[in-house]
Amino acid sequence: MEKLHYERLQETLYHEVMDNGLQVYVLPKPAFLKTYATFATQYGSVDNHFKVAGGEETTVPDGIAHFLEHKMFEEPEGDIFATFASNGASANAFTSFDQTVYLFSATENIEQNLSTLVDFVQRPYFTDENVEKEKGIIGQEINMYADNPDWRVYFGLIEAMYATHPVHIDIAGTIESISTITKETLYTCYNSFYHPSNMLLFIVGGVDPEKVFELIRNNQKGKSYEKQGEITRIFDPEPEEVASKHVESRLAVSIPKMMFGFKEKVDGLTGEAAVRRDLTTKLMLDLLFGSSTALYQKLYDEELISDSFGHEFNSSPQYAFSAIGGDTKDPGLLLERIKEEVGLILEKGFAAKDFERARKKKIGGFLRMLNSPESIAHEFTRYQFRGGDLFEVLPLYESITLDEVNARLHDHVDWEQLAVSLVVSP
Amino acid sequence: MTNNGFQHGSAAGIRIHVLPTKAFKTFAISLYAGVPLEESTVTSTALVPFVLRRGTASYPETTEFRERLEELYGAGFGFDIYKRGDYQIVQFRMDTINDSFVQSKESLLGESFAFLGEVLTRPLLEDGSFRASYVATERETIRKKLESIVNDKIRYAAERCIEEMCRKEPYRLHPLGQRADLDGITPESLYQSYNSWLNGATLDLYVVGDTTPEEVEKLVVAHFGRARHSESVPYVSNFTPVTVTEVRTVEERLDVNQGKLNMGLRTSITYKDDSYAAALMYNGILGGYPHSKLFVNVREKESLAYYASSRYDGHKGIGTIQSGIESQNYGKAVDIIRKQLDELKAGNISELELSQTKAMIRNLLSEIQDSAFEMISFDFNRQLSGKDRTAQELMDQVDSLGAAEVKAAADTFELDTIYFLTGKEE
Repeated sequence: MEKLHYERLQETLYHEVMDNGLQVYVLPKPAFLKTYATFATQYGSVDNHFKVAGGEETTVPDGIAHFLEHKMFEEPEGDIFATFASNGASANAFTSFDQTVYLFSATENIEQNLSTLVDFVQRPYFTDENVEKEKGIIGQEINMYADNPDWRVYFGLIEAMYATHPVHIDIAGTIESISTITKETLYTCYNSFYHPSNMLLFIVGGVDPEKVFELIRNNQKGKSYEKQGEITRIFDPEPEEVASKHVESRLAVSIPKMMFGFKEKVDGLTGEAAVRRDLTTKLMLDLLFGSSTALYQKLYDEELISDSFGHEFNSSPQYAFSAIGGDTKDPGLLLERIKEEVGLILEKGFAAKDFERARKKKIGGFLRMLNSPESIAHEFTRYQFRGGDLFEVLPLYESITLDEVNARLHDHVDWEQLAVSLVVSP
Repeated sequence: MTNNGFQHGSAAGIRIHVLPTKAFKTFAISLYAGVPLEESTVTSTALVPFVLRRGTASYPETTEFRERLEELYGAGFGFDIYKRGDYQIVQFRMDTINDSFVQSKESLLGESFAFLGEVLTRPLLEDGSFRASYVATERETIRKKLESIVNDKIRYAAERCIEEMCRKEPYRLHPLGQRADLDGITPESLYQSYNSWLNGATLDLYVVGDTTPEEVEKLVVAHFGRARHSESVPYVSNFTPVTVTEVRTVEERLDVNQGKLNMGLRTSITYKDDSYAAALMYNGILGGYPHSKLFVNVREKESLAYYASSRYDGHKGIGTIQSGIESQNYGKAVDIIRKQLDELKAGNISELELSQTKAMIRNLLSEIQDSAFEMISFDFNRQLSGKDRTAQELMDQVDSLGAAEVKAAADTFELDTIYFLTGKEE
C-alpha cells in the first residue's frame, strides 16, 4: 500500500496494484457518512477497432461499449440493481468516448456493496434472449436523445469536425448498428477490455484503506485471469481539416441552437503535457468567452446569447476540439460578431489582471470540486487514464503563464479549422 | 445523524440557521425568500433576482459584478426560482472557498456576506429606480426561458401535466411567471415590486462551514441591516386535499420521435403528516428506484421504455409518473402503469420490496449530511412545513412500516390526469 499525502489539499490517497494488474485507489473522507466507488474500464465508444496482442484485429458495431454497459447489470439470478437495493446502495453506470464506469453510493454495508460492484462487473452473463430484449430499451434511449436539441447540436458539431475518427459516432450507436449486436460480439469486447489490467477502482468516503485493500486482494485472488497482452486501438487516419464547415438539423425548438468550435491537429499528447495543454486551453476559453468577459456582456446585451452560452474543450491523444455556444435568435449574426470581437482580442492578447483573476476562479473551482466524492472519483479516473494526476492540478494552475495562454489562443483559434452546428425549427 | 445540528437565531428581520462544521472546503450560504404563489405577483417576483444579478451600487456594471466573484476565488453565485406547495421561493446560493486553502488577504466568508447583502439590499439605482436597460434585457431573458421549456421534451411534458392537473389552482403557474405579464413591467413598477417583496417575503439565511452563529449574526447585521423593517413571518400551510372525481386525459401533438407519457396523482398526505413516511415508501415501491414496480414492469419485462419512474411532492400532495415510449405503445403502457397502481392499492407488496425500499430511503436520508446544500435544503423543508422532524426520526418511521401502512398510503393516491405528448400525425 502506497500512501500519497497532499498537504495543501488536506487529502491523503492510498494506492495499490493488484497482482492481476488492477489499479486500486482509496481516498478516506473521515467526516463523510457515505462511500462512493467507481469501477472503470478504459473502454468507450471510440474503441470500435482494436487488436489484443496475440489475437486478431477486430471491428465491432457502433454503440457496443454502451450496450455492454447495459447488459452487465443482468446476472443469472436477475437484475443486480436488486442486490444493491437490498444493501441500500444506489447504483448506476455510464459510457463516454473513452471509458465505461460502474458505480455505487451507499452509507451502510460498504464491504458487501464493494464486493457486489467488483463481482458483477467481473461476471458477464449474456444470452441471445437478454441481448434481444435490451435492443428495445436502448432503442428508446436513442429516441430520447434524438429529441434532445442540446445533444443533437453537440453531436452535430463533432460530426462536422471528424470524418473518420469514431468520436463522431453517437455513444449509443444507432437503431440499425445495435441490431447487429450479438452475445458473441459482446463477449469479444468484454474479454478484450475488461481485463483487470485495463481497469481502475476508486473508493472515496468514510472507509479504512487497509480494510478495503484486504477485501479487494482477497476478492481478486479468488478469480483467475491470464496475463493479457497490450491492447492496440486502431484509428483510420483523420484528415487535418474539418469534414464539414456547417451542419444543420431540424427539431421543434423555440429558438435556434448553435455550437461552434475549432478542430485541433492531432498531437498525441499524454501525461502531464496533455493535462497542462487542457488546463491552459480551458483558461484561455474562459478568458475569451466566460460570463465575466466584455465579449460575453456585449453579446448578451445585443440579445445574441443567453445564460445557456457556454464552452468546453475535449481531448484525447487522437482528437482535440472546443465546443462553444448556446441558444441564439440569429446564428449568422452571432458568428459574425464573434469573429469580429475575437479578431480584436487576437491582436492584443489577454491582459495580466484578467489572466490572474481567471486563474483564481479556476483554482477556486478546483477546490470546490473536492467537496464532491462523485466529482473526485470521476475526475481522478479520467486523469489517470490520460496518464495525469488530478491532485497535481493546483501547482499546475499556479505555474501556467500569461504567455502560455496567449500562445494557446493563437494556436487554437484558427478560422480555417472552424465548424458550426445548428439546430433549427422545421 | 447530525443534520439537525443547525443553530437557529434571527437578526435584521432574517431567520438565521448556522451549522458549524469542518467537513467541507467551502462555506455554503443560502438565502431563501418565499412569498405566496399568486398570479398578480408571480412574474415580477421572478424578474427581481434576474435584475439584481446585473449590478449593485458598488458593482454597477455586470462585468464588474462577475469579476468581483472571480476575485473571491471564483465564488459560486447563483439563484433558483421554484414552487414549494403554494409558495414561490427565490433561493440565492453562494459557495466560497474556506480561506485556509488559499492565500487570501480578505476573509472570504465576510466578503461573501458583503457581496450577497449588497445584491439583496443595494441594487444599482438610476433616478430612484432600476436601470432601464437591465430590466428590458432580463425581461427578454425570462421570455426566452419560458419559450424554451418546450425544447426539453421530458421537462415540458412534466410541466404541462402539472399545469393541466392544477389548472384551477395557483400551482398551475410557472415559477418564472407568465409571458403576457412581461411587457407591462417597467423599471419603476419592478422597483416597487422589489421593495414589497423584500419587506414581505419570509427570509431564511443558512450557512454551513467553519464558522459560528455569533460570527454569522454579526455579518448579517453588518451587511443585511437595511434589508427590512419587520420580522419574517413563518410559513403557513393552506393545503386542502383535492378529491378526484374522474381521470382526465390530455393529448398534445408536437414534432417528436418519442412519445412522453406523464401521469399526475393526488394524495391527502403532505410533508407535515405522520403518514409522510408511508407516502415515501409508496413512491419508492411504485417508481422511485431501479428495483421499483415501474422500472421492472415497464422497462425490464416489456422493453417499452428507457425510463419509467415516479416522484412524490410532499409539499403539494401530488405524485407524478413519467416515461418515454413509442407512441403506438400508449395503450399498453397506460395499462401496465395503472396495473402497478392497483397492485399497491390491493396491498400486493412483497417483503423484499419493503426491505429494499427502506434501505434505499435510509441511504438517501443518510447521504444528506455529506452535502452542505442538501442539509440546508432538508432544514428549509422543516421551516416551510412547520414540521420539526429530523432525518433520523423520519428514517425510524420508514423502518417501522409494513405492507398494511403502505397500502393505507396507496389508498390516498388517486390518478387525476394522464398527459400524453406524441408526434404529429403523418
